[in-house]
Parts: sequence; C-alpha cells; structure tokens
Amino acid sequence: MAEKVPVSEGEYRVLKLIAERRFVRGSIEEASRILGVDKSTLASIVYLLRDKGLVDVEEVEEERIEITDRGRRVLAEGLPEERLVKELASRGGETSINELQEILGGETAVALGQAKRRGLIEVSKGIVRLVVDARTALATLEGFKRLLKEAAERGVWEGEGLEEALKRGLVRRVKSKRILLSVKGEPAALLERVEPEASRLTAEMLRTGEWRRFKFRSYNVEAMPPRVLPSRKHFLHEFIEMLRDIMRELGFREVRGPLVEIELFNFDMLFQAQDHPAREIHDSLWIKEPRAADLGRYADLVERVRRVHERGWKYKWDPSIAARYILRSQTTAVSARVLASRPSPPVRVFTLGKVFRSDAVGPTRLPEFHQLDGIEGDYDYSFRDLLNRLQEIASMLGLKLKFKPAYFPFTEPSVEGYVRLPNGRWLELFGAGMFRPEVLEAAGIDYPVGAWGFGIERLAMAFYGVSDIRKLYTRDVDEIRGARFYIR
Amino acid sequence: MPVLRFRLSRLRALTGLGVEELEEALFRLKCETEVTEDGEFIEVEVNPDRPDMFIGEGIARAVRGLIGAEKGWERPKVVDSGLRLLVEEVPRRPFIAAAVVYNVNVDEEFLEELIQFQEKLHESIGRRRAKVAIGFHDLDKLPSRELTYRVSHLDTVFKPLDYPREMKFSELLLIDDRGAAYGKLAVDEERGSHPFLFSGDIVIAAPPVINSDVTRVEPGTRSLFIDVTGTSPEAVAQTLDIIVTALAERPGAYVGRVSLEGRAPWQSTPLLAEKLVEVDVGRASKWLGIKLGAAEAAELLERMRFRVEGVEDGTVKVVVPPFRADVMGEVDLYEDMAIAVGYDNIVSGFKGKYHGGDILWEHKVARAFRELAVGLGFTEVAQLILTSPEAVEASGMKELAVEVLNPVQREYSVLRPSILVTLLQAAAYNQYRRKPLKIFEVGHVVYLEEGEPRDELRAGMLVLDEEVSLEEIQAPLYSIMEVLGVKFRALKAEHPLFMEGRTARLVTSGGEVLGWLGEVKPEVLEALGIEYPVAAAEVSLEVLSRWSSRT
Repeated sequence: MAEKVPVSEGEYRVLKLIAERRFVRGSIEEASRILGVDKSTLASIVYLLRDKGLVDVEEVEEERIEITDRGRRVLAEGLPEERLVKELASRGGETSINELQEILGGETAVALGQAKRRGLIEVSKGIVRLVVDARTALATLEGFKRLLKEAAERGVWEGEGLEEALKRGLVRRVKSKRILLSVKGEPAALLERVEPEASRLTAEMLRTGEWRRFKFRSYNVEAMPPRVLPSRKHFLHEFIEMLRDIMRELGFREVRGPLVEIELFNFDMLFQAQDHPAREIHDSLWIKEPRAADLGRYADLVERVRRVHERGWKYKWDPSIAARYILRSQTTAVSARVLASRPSPPVRVFTLGKVFRSDAVGPTRLPEFHQLDGIEGDYDYSFRDLLNRLQEIASMLGLKLKFKPAYFPFTEPSVEGYVRLPNGRWLELFGAGMFRPEVLEAAGIDYPVGAWGFGIERLAMAFYGVSDIRKLYTRDVDEIRGARFYIR
Repeated sequence: MPVLRFRLSRLRALTGLGVEELEEALFRLKCETEVTEDGEFIEVEVNPDRPDMFIGEGIARAVRGLIGAEKGWERPKVVDSGLRLLVEEVPRRPFIAAAVVYNVNVDEEFLEELIQFQEKLHESIGRRRAKVAIGFHDLDKLPSRELTYRVSHLDTVFKPLDYPREMKFSELLLIDDRGAAYGKLAVDEERGSHPFLFSGDIVIAAPPVINSDVTRVEPGTRSLFIDVTGTSPEAVAQTLDIIVTALAERPGAYVGRVSLEGRAPWQSTPLLAEKLVEVDVGRASKWLGIKLGAAEAAELLERMRFRVEGVEDGTVKVVVPPFRADVMGEVDLYEDMAIAVGYDNIVSGFKGKYHGGDILWEHKVARAFRELAVGLGFTEVAQLILTSPEAVEASGMKELAVEVLNPVQREYSVLRPSILVTLLQAAAYNQYRRKPLKIFEVGHVVYLEEGEPRDELRAGMLVLDEEVSLEEIQAPLYSIMEVLGVKFRALKAEHPLFMEGRTARLVTSGGEVLGWLGEVKPEVLEALGIEYPVAAAEVSLEVLSRWSSRT
C-alpha cells in the first residue's frame, strides 16, 4: 500500500466532511455551504490539500456585470426618459422645458437626450411634445429595464443594450477569480489515503478516543522556549539565613536587640570613652526626637559603667551622654545587653541585624548594613578557644583565615580575620577579641567572654561576585528573579 | 585609622629587615602596609592604640623586639636642661609639659617624619588638638632659658611660623586656616585672651594654634625643645613621654629635663612615667589558652619591649615603658604575649561540639512567610530601613516616623514606619515590568509608640496591575494565614495608605492587630509616581509569631 499522506487536524476534518457529504466538485462557495466550513478557512485548507495531491483546485478568471449605485437608483425610481414620458402624458402630451426642469432637476438633459434618440419626443421652441402614445413609449423601455434588473440579480447581461448601460454608468464590468474544487477519485476513499497528524493532544481526543487516529507531529525540540523567571526570595536574605543556620549548627542561640539603641549599650558598656572618635557626629547617626531615654531602670549598671570609665580613662563620665538614643552602630550593643543580663555560663549566643553609620550611599558604603555578632563565654574559656571558633566559622563558609592582631577598645587581645578572595585580594572578615575585664566588670560577670562581629554585606559581595554594594539591594524584580541560584 | 608614610629605605635601615620581612612583622604588630608603586615609600596603617609607632624610631623599636633582635627597654640618659617654665593660670587650657631632646640632628627626611608624627598625634590622642597640642622648637634658637605659659590679650604680636612678618594674634585668627580651625579651642572671648608660651618676653608659641617662626625647626637643627599643652594632665604628660622616648632612640640622643614652677602639677617634665604591672602567668595562660612558664612569659614580654624586673612564684614583675600609653592593666600584657607567640601558633582547631543552638522564633516565622509568599508567585525585595521624608509624607505617616538627627543624605533621613513605604517605592521602580507585578518584603520598621522609638519585624506584600481588585491581595494573604493555622478576622477600618471602604484591619482571635490590607489610595499612588493601581497588605511578624503555633 502506498505511504499514507500526513494531514493536520484541520485538513483531516475537511476531508472527513467531504467523504461524509460526498462532495465531488464545485466552487469554493458551494463547498463552504455543503460542508458547513467557513469560506476563508476552507480556502486555505484546500490549497494545503492540493499540495498533498488530495484534491484539485482550478482557478477560473470570470467577468461579471455589476450594477452601480446609479443603476440601483434607476431600478427604484425608473429611467429618466421613463419619468419624462410619464410627466408628458400627465400634462396632455406636451409641456415647456422650464417646467420639466423643475420636476426632473439634474436628470433633465439625460431624459431629453434618451427620449429623443428613441424617437419618443420632439423639441421645438422650448416646448417638448410626445410623438408616440405613452403606452407604446413605455413599452419600448421595458426590455432595457428588465435586462438591468437581471444584471443586478445574476451578474450577467443577456441581450442588447449592454454598451448603453455601461456608457450611462448603470452597470460596470468586474473581473473575479472563481475557485473550483474537485476531489481526486472517490470521496469515500479519501480518508484511507491519509494519516491525520495532531500538534496537541487534547482532553477532547482522550475523551473520545480519537487520539488513536492521530500521529503527533514532531517539534523542533532544539529550539529555545520563551524565557520565564521564577518568583524568588531575595539572595541577600538567603545568604543571611545561611549564616543563621551555620550559627545554629555551631550551638549558638539567636538573640535580638533594638535598632534604636541607647549609647549606654552601644558604647559605654563596651568601654568606649565618651570622647572616642566613633562617638563623634560624623561617625554615627542619632535620632531627632526623642533624644534620650530614662536610665532609671539601669541604675546598677550605670554605676558600674561609671566606675570603670572613670578609673580606666580618667575623666568625668556623663550619664546624660549614655542616655542618648542612637541608631545602633554595631550589633555588639546586643551582646552588651546579653552580658548585662548576667547569664549563667556557658554562654553561646549570636545576633544578626542592621547597624547604621554616617555614610552616603556609594559603591562601597551604605548608611545601614547587616552585622553578625557572637559571644561565647565560660569559666575556662580562652583566647585560643576564640581563635579556634573563628577558624571553624570561616571553614564552614569555605574560607581560609589569616589572623591579624588588632585594636578595639573593648577587647584584649583583639584580632581581625582576613580571608583571601578568588581575585587574590584580602578581605577583612571580622573583628574579634576577649572582652576586657572592664567590660565584664561593668556587666557584673566573673568569667571570660570572647566576642566577634562580621560585616555581612562585604562577605555577601564576595560570595556573589558583586563589586558594587548597591547591587545587593537591587529593587529590579527581573534582576532578583534572574539572579544565579547558589546551592549550598 | 592613622595611615603613615615612611621612606622604605629609612625603615629598612632602622629595622635591618627586607621589605617582605618588614611587612610581615608589621602585620603581626596590627599594621596593614602597602609599598607605593615607585617602591620608595611604605604606607603603614597603625592602630590608634599605638601612637608610639607613629614614627620610624617607634616602629623600629617594636619590630626589632618582635623579631628578637633587641629585648626589654632601658631609660634614656636624662640631664638637667637648665630651662625653667613658669606656669600661670590658663583657664581654657591649664596644662603644659616640656622637655629637651639633645642630638636629634634633624635632616630633610627626618623633618618630614617629625611633622607627620606631630600631625598624627594631634589627630588621635590629641582629639584634633582639643585635648592635646604639640610644639617643636629648635633649642638653640630659644631667646631665653626662662619660659612662661600664660594668657595674653588677642592683640599680642609675634611672627607666626611660615609668615614673613610680625602680626597681631587676632589678625592670624582671621587670615590663617589653622587660626580658623583651632582658634576656637582656647580663645577666651570674654577676656579677649589666648594662651601663649613666652621665652623671655618673646612669644614662641600660641598653643594649640601655631608656633612662632623664631624657634623654627629646620634641616640642621641639632636639639629640640618640645612643649605639650592640653586639657587633661594625664594625656599631656603621656604625649610628651611618647615623643621624648621616640626621639631619644636617635643615635647619640639624650633627654633634658625642664623645671616647672607655678600652677604646674609636676616639678619637672618629662615624667618618663613607668608603670609596674604584675603578670600572673597562670591567669595569662588561662586567658590565652596556652601553657606558659614564668621564664617563657618574661621572655615574650621582653620581646614586646617591656622591662622585666623579676620573676617569682609564677608572677612576672613588668615595667611598662612610658611610651606604652595603651597599657591599662594586666590583660593588655596578655595580648602582647599572644602577639609575641603569634596568633597562628595559638589556634589549634576546634574540638568541642555543642548542642542547643537555635534561631529566633520570629525569624523562623519570617522564613515560613517568605517561603509561602514565593509559592504564591511573589518575589522578595530587600531594601534599606532609611528612606526619604517625601515617601513617608506621601504615605501619610509623618507623625509616626522617627527622623535621623544628623543624616548624610536627605533620601535616607527617616526610618520607615511601615514596610509598605519602601515596598511602594519598589513598585514604582518596577511598574513598567511585565504585569501583574507581585512583590513582598520582610524587614524592620521603626515608629513612635507613646513617644518612645520602637522597632518591629513586619512583612508587606503588594500586587500592581492594569486593574487590581482587593481580592488579589486578600486571597494570597489569607492562604498564608490559613496554612500557618492563624485565625483572624477582617474588620472594616481606615488607614492612611488605603481607600475608604476598601480597607481592612486584621485582628487575631485575641484581639491583637495583626495587620492591614486594602487598595492603595490614588493620591498616594500619584504622589509616589505610580501609574497603576495597587492592592497591598502589611502584617506584623512579631504579632504573627505570638499567634502562630509551634506544634
């Protein structure tokens, strides 16, 4: 058996109708009527079927006569010469041109010309006179009118007077193409010769079982689909959550503290003298209103803080400075609050949140960013334990650490951790150290405590390969949705 | 942090080290270094607690100890300079200390460094001269050995450093940058006076503003007379000690004592004040987590240039030299011991493993919210808490908001009182993206509650589209609450952001306000430059935390 011809669903539907309704030959209009398929849809399918050798399509150039607007008016109102004859008959066979003009208006000249040509009237000295009787005159016009009417209905002019009608603008010639469709062979056998192909498998096909008859078309599976992006969590927050998980895994419990802090916890408890440069107006941010809190509930703490400051820094400590509200400049303020609560050891807590600095938005700085602070303390806790802990955190981040002795007013010894980035540069990862005895004394604690603080944005920039810190806070939804997803 | 610039050739000569060894030693002494491209200079970032290292001689002293080339520290030779300084009452700047260092032998290179030393001391312990100010003078140019520190009227005439003529001090205050910058520190407006240092009856300094040209230090200057004035006697004496001990490291240099009379707290300066600190080696070992014997501890401390007076019963008696102003007590010496050992030799790998770690419940709830919001087709944005007063004003929440007293930029001068203030800004930014735009944000807001500032963790979500109905935000929010098992009621309400009749307050079964939702007012949209309708919701994760169950 010859190979079957693949046809689309639409083509198959038409072929099926042809077979069912036994259509053999006819114009596209006839086919549309018989098959009940919209003419333009059918026309396009017919050509596809022809290309597949299933039907023949013949295009025939045809000329038709089409009635014009003027022709239609004549059919409704009568020919101008007809109206002229009727007017003359009603006036006893003659009247003046002037009077006719009032009745026939713009058509007067045509009416007079046609009537005269047919020998129905004569004109003399402004008077028009009927020369045959009215009934005879009207009968001579009937034939022409009948042909015009037929032309309007059937598109043909079968008889004399076509030239006249064309000249008078009552009809025009129109050329058109007629599509003749004929089925090759027996319509019922058509379906045997084809194999229907579908693009989509539909629920309808599954319901009716029709899918069995279809072959499903192959797609270009190597072509690109349209680009879509998933809804996403923000990558900076994902990074922050990963850090929280690391701290939890290391046995640290999360705590939090207020963003609008008082200087007592942000600075004084951390043994930062009241004239320390970090407390100057160009380093930190304060709030307009209210300016200060009531230190009443911290009376004991305030007294201890005063004692260590005045002894250590040799100046008059001012509680009104410690009472000032400040946008916390370091999450160590939260650690200070934890210490002030005098927890019983072992202590292992961390906090992760925003801090604020007096910086303009730029490629390397923001007025607010995240810090992670951790503290760990026990009676036998040592600087070595702290260094080990820091190395462990770095290794969980997949980073190799280098320790650098450092200075912070509230720790001794102090250390900074540097890590080498893929680009070969060293990044300061954290500052850390053992809280000074003055800090422990102010808190009222009798065991050593190690502390560290990480700046998160700079670390995130290194992880995500971002060189401009503002990119971490992009508002561009497409950028967030299209950001590289790192599996960790 | 202070960054100092040294001639590499000079530091190498002083320390006897190659560039790499020098940089490594400085790193261990808390300094970051960078050699300039031409290889001529090295920039050293010194920590502010070590002002004694603001000069080549101080750096060399520390480095040579760390590498074991020198040990301990001996006091320099001190003689009586024969100079007498009478101190009168100077109310705004009462304290002065002075000293002489002989045979400093200033050349061009050293002069550069001396000026840098002075500047960096001014910036750090000097608190930009407010606390301490320093004057260097050529000893041989002093007009008289009798000196007086006293106030004098502002019309006092002298020849300021670098000026070709004499002038009234009041004139200098007007025409000189230093006059403008430091004049206000010590001028007594009421009396029309200022502190001056006289040698005989000639002004040699008007601290803290400027010196006189009479005693100008220049290449060829052999010996220096140094004055330090200030508001804190401890800081004044310490600063002089730091300077004198650094200069005395110069070959052949030694110190001259100056007698003080009148209202001075000291009979003579420099004090070269040493401090005796006893280091309990057992306690140090415990603090640092390394096992140290007493002899070993003593050796480490000597390498850090402390003088060891004796070792007994596990205690090392340590003399802290005058230039180590940063040492306040025993624990500071622990750090020096750790530095001498090397931090890399202390770290040993972590052995213990602890349980009981946890994340705040509130943050777990935030995680859940984010997870579910993403599942509902919302994308998360992350923004700053600081925002612009215009955005807060447009949102009708000015009364609630906390403003920054000293903002750097106006766009970041108010703390957002609602997460929707910034979320709507993100909507404005993304409004021409494919719609519907569905975004959310989790973060802190700060607002006034009964006049006191407080922060709160909140979540906001919004939908922006050609047309938006209230249901488009209600449905996803309600579904989050449903799967979190949180029961609440929606009550008809009013809210500055939302349209009348299209605003609901969400209240928990306990009557606590969980949040708000509604269609955003067209006037708010217009004020924020948003051209599409928006439906939005905000919930308190703090409240949600209380009403979401752990079981």
